[in-house]
Amino acid sequence: MSGIVSLTNPRSIAVVGASKAPGKVGNAVVVNLINSKFGGRIYPVNPKEKTIEGLPCFPSLAAIPDEVEAAVFTVPAKAVLKAAEECGEKGVKFLAVLTAGFKELGREGLEMERALVDTCRRCDMRLLGPNCLGFMDTHTPANATFISGYPIQGEIAFVSQSGAILAAVLDRARSLGIGFSKVISLGNKADLSEVDFIADAADDSHTSVIMCYIEDVNDGEKFLATAAQAVRKKPLVIFKSGTSQAGALAASSHTGALAGSDVAYSTAFNQCGVIRATSMRELFDLAVAFANQPVPKGDNLAIVTNSGGPGIIATDWAEKQNVKITRFTKETINALREGLPPEAGIYNPVDVLGDAPADRFRFAVEKVLKDENVDGLIVLVCPTLVTQPVEIAQAILEIRGKNPDKPIFAVYMGGETMAEGSAMLAEAGVPCFDFPENAVTAFAGMANYRQFAEQERKAKELPAFVPDVKTVKAVFYDVKRDNRLVLLGSEAAEVVAAYGITTAPTLMAHNPDEAVALAENFGYPVVLKVASPKILHKSDVGGVKMKLDSAKAVREAFVDIMEKVHHYLPDVTPHGIEVQKMMTRGIELIIGMTRDVQFGPLVAVGLGGIYVNLFKDVSFRLASGMTVREIEQQLAETKAYTLLRGYRGEKPADLATVITTISRAAKLVTDFPEITEMDINPLFVYQRGVAAMDVKITIS
Amino acid sequence: MKNLFVMGLGNSGKTAIALGLALKFKAEGYQVAYFKPVGGQGCPGSTDVDAVLMKEVLQMSAPLEVIAPCSAGYSYLSKSLHPEWAELIRNAFAELSRDVDVVVIDGATFPHALAASGMDSVSLCKQLNAVALSVLRVKNDFGLDAAIFFNRYLTNQGVELVGNVFSHVERPVLAKIEGIYQPILDQMGFKTLGIIPVQPQIAAPTVGEYYEALGGEILVGENRLDSLVEEVVIGAMTIESALTYLRRANNKAVIIGGDRADLALAALETSTSVLVLTGGLYPDVKVLARAAEKGVAVILVHYDTYTTVEKLGRVSRHIKPGNKEEINLALANIEQYCDWAQILAALQA
Repeated sequence: MSGIVSLTNPRSIAVVGASKAPGKVGNAVVVNLINSKFGGRIYPVNPKEKTIEGLPCFPSLAAIPDEVEAAVFTVPAKAVLKAAEECGEKGVKFLAVLTAGFKELGREGLEMERALVDTCRRCDMRLLGPNCLGFMDTHTPANATFISGYPIQGEIAFVSQSGAILAAVLDRARSLGIGFSKVISLGNKADLSEVDFIADAADDSHTSVIMCYIEDVNDGEKFLATAAQAVRKKPLVIFKSGTSQAGALAASSHTGALAGSDVAYSTAFNQCGVIRATSMRELFDLAVAFANQPVPKGDNLAIVTNSGGPGIIATDWAEKQNVKITRFTKETINALREGLPPEAGIYNPVDVLGDAPADRFRFAVEKVLKDENVDGLIVLVCPTLVTQPVEIAQAILEIRGKNPDKPIFAVYMGGETMAEGSAMLAEAGVPCFDFPENAVTAFAGMANYRQFAEQERKAKELPAFVPDVKTVKAVFYDVKRDNRLVLLGSEAAEVVAAYGITTAPTLMAHNPDEAVALAENFGYPVVLKVASPKILHKSDVGGVKMKLDSAKAVREAFVDIMEKVHHYLPDVTPHGIEVQKMMTRGIELIIGMTRDVQFGPLVAVGLGGIYVNLFKDVSFRLASGMTVREIEQQLAETKAYTLLRGYRGEKPADLATVITTISRAAKLVTDFPEITEMDINPLFVYQRGVAAMDVKITIS
Repeated sequence: MKNLFVMGLGNSGKTAIALGLALKFKAEGYQVAYFKPVGGQGCPGSTDVDAVLMKEVLQMSAPLEVIAPCSAGYSYLSKSLHPEWAELIRNAFAELSRDVDVVVIDGATFPHALAASGMDSVSLCKQLNAVALSVLRVKNDFGLDAAIFFNRYLTNQGVELVGNVFSHVERPVLAKIEGIYQPILDQMGFKTLGIIPVQPQIAAPTVGEYYEALGGEILVGENRLDSLVEEVVIGAMTIESALTYLRRANNKAVIIGGDRADLALAALETSTSVLVLTGGLYPDVKVLARAAEKGVAVILVHYDTYTTVEKLGRVSRHIKPGNKEEINLALANIEQYCDWAQILAALQA
């Protein structure tokens, strides 16, 4: 994506729709460009003006004597297309269309937007927006937006789908002295999207961390690939909104696209190492932390505080975020015992007591940071009569200089009395928070980033496996010919069996005699299940009979099932009844798959059988590119894992086969994109081997 | 030569079979006319869509009010017993049958319709010198019972019954018809002259037919009225489970409230022919834009979901005169799945 680098670093910018009138967007852009000390040439374009803000104004693009590399549009929507054509003729490479009134307004707008994209493609131009605030680059420097105020130079690249959020964050950052490298407002993402700017920022030497606010991604697959690449170079923190049911509805109405499910976003982010912020506050805190602090080498956190309460709160929060409150080495403990008053807490969290002057903080912080078991430190300061916030800040800054490898976070709880010290820390790049939870969350995000990088190095590929693709194709062909989308249980069992997943023997019978013949062949006891693509929950309509141990029982069950099904669903004619060998019960797992509209197949694993809805014990992974380690982790996230390892004296179950089975299921849904949903539930897991009891597959 | 009276319940596929047989007889060199003595609704002749179709396909010169002289609705008796209809039918039939070898007569929506006036299918069959062909759409064992019951009535009334044709046969029922139903009918002396599998191309109503039944407003997709609707899904589920349900149905109509942008967008991700938005709630413009992009029609209706579903129950499929593919399929069905030669022989006997 190096092709877009010069969007925020052009040699010349035309402002199409430039204006003389203060307060107009067309004026604000010209003023912002001038004030940002943009080094290239600025060409205001407006047929009615001679000069704008002291710059010569041109009647049209064609009238500009030199090359124009980028153009910013502030003309009304109806004039955009014509202006874009002119840009194409002029050889402009980048358009930033600030104008609103496109897709966001409906059908007509959508058609205009499409025509605009077509023009850009034809003329080899890239397009930012429409309906955006523009872009800034503090290193170029250039401010091609109509936002009032320009950020100070920094190392955070900020990409936002919402213009309002972008403006608000910049305003707040300025008051906290936090700087940015690049700021991009995405708007409607008709052409360039988060993917392009993440890739761009990942390669940008002035950027050390990328923060994004998004409501959706345009292309899940491309996003995964780009994000995974970017994360190898620098941290990527994303706040994705629309997580709740109502939020998703709001996002759908707002963006006009079906939001991929939130669990898919979380899984995708996790799997490619994106740090997901769960609030605006967290997004901001994490970006600041990454921009100014070294990434910790592990997740061992130390806390130094002058008060017990905040120390406990921080500890609680650390546990929730899977951060370790570390144990100090003997040397550190001894040093603290000798150096601190006898009432002080010398284990983690270290309590230097309410009467601690700055020197006592300095002593404790120094000792703790030296400890090899400590990867990062939070200094919690509460205002007491003797607290010296400024002096403590000075001490922290000095010690930080001597320990550049370990991140330090400060928490100055309080108001006025703490303000000066807090500002001093923030300015020097030590993140200073109001409350302990935010500091722990920031450390946790950084520790996760480190952990991901390490895991990637250890990733183990799955063993090669050659499935029986032909059988699967044949089954799907029959189902499609039958004008169905849902496979019968016996067909679905055949499909997974072709991918090496052991299934309980299952065959279809059309009448009681056939059922008995199959049962005799399998050996009693057997299970009978109604076979119909129209019945989702078979047992709800009396469509399942278990433990049938004689020909008579099978015959009676056959008729009984048919009658019950007819009673509950008079319009459904079953295809027949499936006879399945009754298997010994094992630990019941579910392996499920749903195809997310953005990120593709998502594999769920958890406690199966009747517990699925009760415990909701499922963990998700994207099916593509799954590794053994990922499957192990996925399993470890479930309660089922405890059962599988042997709960309360039970012998452990066949974990290796479970992992193989999950990988085969993932391969199946990756190989066959027409599978839109799949459920293996329950999968019986034994001490040796597994058996899929019920398989459901829907194709498209 | 005798005439052929095709009778059966509404939506059993009578007209498609009448069409196929008429075309076959024509291809065999016979002069064929189509007659629908009792049409379904509206004013006589002009609105009977089947008459319009057959007039064009068989290139009949008779006007529509002769091809379909009467039209009876659910409250036809409110006015009178319509004694004048008997004469209308007689005259029209005389005109139609004058220059042809055989008239294929299409029964009313129900064979018993107009029994109060003595113009039910069975009575007319006798009056018009026709043999009967009974079209069955059997979904379960009682359906077969009803067919046998009706067959016996026909024979008791002295009507010559050529046999039965099973139409719209879904795959799960096919084995049962061949293995159980047909032998039972044989044993009782009733012939099975055809088992025609269901074909969505001629069985499934189109979006246009849904629109006719529902009324309302087409918000997008005026050019999509020919799309087939094979299934109906009511969108009242949570968005998490929605995709699972929506993915299970092919070429479907999805009925949802206009304010459920999330469900509408989910439906547009799956195989959908039409979105029916209920409650008169206009959808978000972005939903319409997406529907236009996906080529899915959107119909806005002002009644609630229940009423909408009730109305959908009355939608039935009619073959359109211009649709060559459907017309050819009707003929192909007769050639491939029906013993038309035996039917023809019965007419010549």
